[in-house]
Amino acid sequence: MRRITISILSTLLVALLAWGAAQSGMLRYNSYMSDPAPRELDERIVELFMERYPDVRVEHSTIAHEDFKQAIRTYLVASPPPDVLTWFAGERMRFFTRAGLIADITDVWTDNDWTEAYSAGAQAMSSDEGDYYFIPQSYYWWAVYYRTDIYEEVGLSVPETWDHFLDNCRALDAAGYIPVTIGTRFRWPAGGWFDYLNMRVNGPEFHIRLLDGLESYESEEVRNTFAHWQEAMDAGCFIDNPSAYNWQEAADFMSQREAGMYLMGQFIMDVVPEDQQQYFDFFRFPIIDATLPIGEDAPTDGWFLSANAANMENAKLFAEFLGSREVAEMWARDLGRLVLRSDIDRSIYTDTQRKGAELLQSADYIAQFYDRDTPEELAGRGMDAFVEFMANPDALDRILADLQREAERVFAARE
Amino acid sequence: MRHHPLAPLSFLLLPLGLYVVWVIYPTFATMAMAFTDWDGISAQWNWVGLANFERLFADRVFWLSLGNNLRWVAVFVTIPLAMGLALALALNRNVRFDRFLKIAYYLPMVLAFVVIGLMWAWIYHPRQGLVNNTLFHLYGFAQSLGFDVNPLAARRIGWLGDPNLAMGSIIAAATWQHVGYVMILYLAGLKTVNTELLDAGQVDGASPWQLFRYITFPQLAPVTTIVLVITVIQSLRAFDLVYVMTRGGPFNSSNVLANFMYIEAFMNYNMGYGAAIAVVLFLISVGFIAAYLYRVVQEEER
Amino acid sequence: MRRLVLIVVWAGALLWLFPIGAAFVTSLRTQTDISAHGFWSVPREVSFANYAAAWDRGRVNRYLLNSFIITIPSIVGMLALSSMSAYALVRFRFRFNRGLYFMFVAGMLLPFQILMLPVFQLSNRLGLYDTHLALILFHTAFQIGFCTFVLRNFMRTVPVSLFESAVIDGAGEWTIYRRIGLPLILPAFAALATLEFTWVFNDYLWALVLLSSDSLKPVTAGLSTLMGQFVNDWPLIVSGSLLAAVPTLVVFFALQRYFIEGLTMGATKG
Repeated sequence: MRRITISILSTLLVALLAWGAAQSGMLRYNSYMSDPAPRELDERIVELFMERYPDVRVEHSTIAHEDFKQAIRTYLVASPPPDVLTWFAGERMRFFTRAGLIADITDVWTDNDWTEAYSAGAQAMSSDEGDYYFIPQSYYWWAVYYRTDIYEEVGLSVPETWDHFLDNCRALDAAGYIPVTIGTRFRWPAGGWFDYLNMRVNGPEFHIRLLDGLESYESEEVRNTFAHWQEAMDAGCFIDNPSAYNWQEAADFMSQREAGMYLMGQFIMDVVPEDQQQYFDFFRFPIIDATLPIGEDAPTDGWFLSANAANMENAKLFAEFLGSREVAEMWARDLGRLVLRSDIDRSIYTDTQRKGAELLQSADYIAQFYDRDTPEELAGRGMDAFVEFMANPDALDRILADLQREAERVFAARE
Repeated sequence: MRHHPLAPLSFLLLPLGLYVVWVIYPTFATMAMAFTDWDGISAQWNWVGLANFERLFADRVFWLSLGNNLRWVAVFVTIPLAMGLALALALNRNVRFDRFLKIAYYLPMVLAFVVIGLMWAWIYHPRQGLVNNTLFHLYGFAQSLGFDVNPLAARRIGWLGDPNLAMGSIIAAATWQHVGYVMILYLAGLKTVNTELLDAGQVDGASPWQLFRYITFPQLAPVTTIVLVITVIQSLRAFDLVYVMTRGGPFNSSNVLANFMYIEAFMNYNMGYGAAIAVVLFLISVGFIAAYLYRVVQEEER
Repeated sequence: MRRLVLIVVWAGALLWLFPIGAAFVTSLRTQTDISAHGFWSVPREVSFANYAAAWDRGRVNRYLLNSFIITIPSIVGMLALSSMSAYALVRFRFRFNRGLYFMFVAGMLLPFQILMLPVFQLSNRLGLYDTHLALILFHTAFQIGFCTFVLRNFMRTVPVSLFESAVIDGAGEWTIYRRIGLPLILPAFAALATLEFTWVFNDYLWALVLLSSDSLKPVTAGLSTLMGQFVNDWPLIVSGSLLAAVPTLVVFFALQRYFIEGLTMGATKG
């Protein structure tokens, strides 16, 4: 018995000591950069930071992207929470500032003259009621990626109109290719399709009003959006069983030269093998109603510090480093993202980046993304609805009625 | 026998203390939480009466999840139970290599659900998976015999991506794991079956089925009760497989209460709502827990 | 008839082993080979590179270590504590004896989801969130129900006179517990420990609820990270899963008899 007691006590002691040690002279950083390419850069940035500040030991946890999105609230209410976390700018960040979970880092912004360095858009995305809470990393464009070699082989041209796009679908289908690949196992790629169709059919203004709860999912406008989606399905655009794949697996169909197109963010290139990248190009999601302003999705990513960070000083040091010009350039150079700092020479951009930047500059409105622009709780139900529509279009009335009821509940609870 | 009045306490203090803190108190805390609107973040919360339950009963996802749980139970109390019993009966006699055969069936039981989930997610993968690739060749063979099938169609079956197939596919993986467990329990039960009765029955010319139906099976009744209760409880608790393989998708077609609760509580941070789901799950289980307790009580009286 | 049964049993057994065998074959191949030629093709090359990658880059080495750090103290703790409570329930007559016993039995059947939220909050408030200790304490506490149930029923087979003679010799209760109670239930310890090892080692849900740091995760939760990191490299993911299964398989094959004893003890000695 004594031996057992001793072993229990010593385990307790060891665990407590380990925990105590975790509290001093270090920094805990939780990151969702789980794909190989971004992960490699993320780790390199942490190493570089530790080289500069040898006194700080960064305990870096990389969590699978989808798991991270689910678990972040648990991380934040934990005591102690991680000191620094990756996250999305704008609404998704403000949700946590309102709950008092994100540290005010206005001092970091002013001390480092970030108020000069960052574009007005980035500043707006990083602040809430005049205070700064976020360290912007980069942003990227969404577009329809396509395989140039398949397009050439089938004799297609880049579509600027909806009908042209549908014709391309039919031609690719007839030639034995999957016209459009999409993987909705984690739902959100379907959100991209909804964003673009709704913005092209009803205009960005209506889109944002809908996502803010000011319009109804059962309205004629939204039905019209789904009617267009239906047209694409009828033209045989989409891959079978999209929900059997996650987005990376769906991208593989393009890398393996089986699929022609993919509506995706620039980060698709993170998972395309190097020898295939030369065949990838992208075009603006086709225009449906030429009288409407053009909206594009271009999400901004970055970091924030926990309000209850146990190592606030180190966290701020890390924040300064993450927001520095040097690190911002790494994201642009190594992963092809677009920079948010105005003091970075755009000559580091590749032609692809320049093309993406132009695509966004010529847009009238920049949205973040469906699950970043509408309350997260509702976004889950909304993306479920889109995925269900793709599998079961006949149930549209019921799907929209359910979604609208859920929307009313969520927005009523927000009052 | 006399003992110091505090002696039991000295032995119970530590285990009971730990148990109360980590099991008893949380059970009641969840029940209380189900009547609040706590979001898990704010310091403030309100009593909301039955509002969470009202919302729950109007929520389509709840009924889908509950239906899936019941389906799971229905499959589990029939297929693995019958298979496990049949295997136990077959292997209880002298069979060559019976050790190997038994191991084959209960090997899956020692694997973590996460491991099973990952392995089966690969087995079910439309392009690379074992099932569809096997079907592909079978279809090809059928085609060469002149049947009108397209082998490529086999690679389009999305076992986990098709809302009509996802739940069944997960339950199939769970069955693979569960059969061995049932078999072990019945094998142990069969050791206690009175062989004299069987011999007497054989002498009287009873058929094997009659022997099983009127002599063996009734004597296995206690084991059957236990197996049933454990099987039902397991089906109601099911979480890992669903979480790893589909997260309840596509669009909740393979959702179960445990996963629904996890998502609502930890992803949407509706702690009160999540607690209400847990309470409903608990209430459904209570009947089975009571059945088990009843048997334990009976055993005590003997 | 007999022969037909045997054929079915053999066919079933091979079918049952097939997924594991197929997973093993997959783990030795490369993703490009499988995508290009299909699962049923003859492998062009066979290597253990996937295991090396999962072990090292996939951090399965770290995750497995964590699993042991969590599992072993939990088992020691639950056996020590439940042997105490089982001893108290068998040795002493007191009010609520029966009631406590039923409580332990009911507790082991709880749908544990009902514990999730308060256990998370509790560990948080105690400053234990994201530590191994939180998991160790919880597993120990939760399994006390099952272990007490098994050990109590095992100890009941001991004749009362054995304890009584010790009392007459003037031994204190703790001495009796240590000298007579514990040695008697040692055989049950072996069975329980084997069974509990697989249960605690295979836990996923509680690791998900109580841990957030990657460096602390047990192998079950780690596999989820591995899957996120190597999304479309199935041979690597499958290799990681098989590696994660090795300890439980070893324990199972080495201690098979105890494992099965533990299972049947828990279920049939009610």
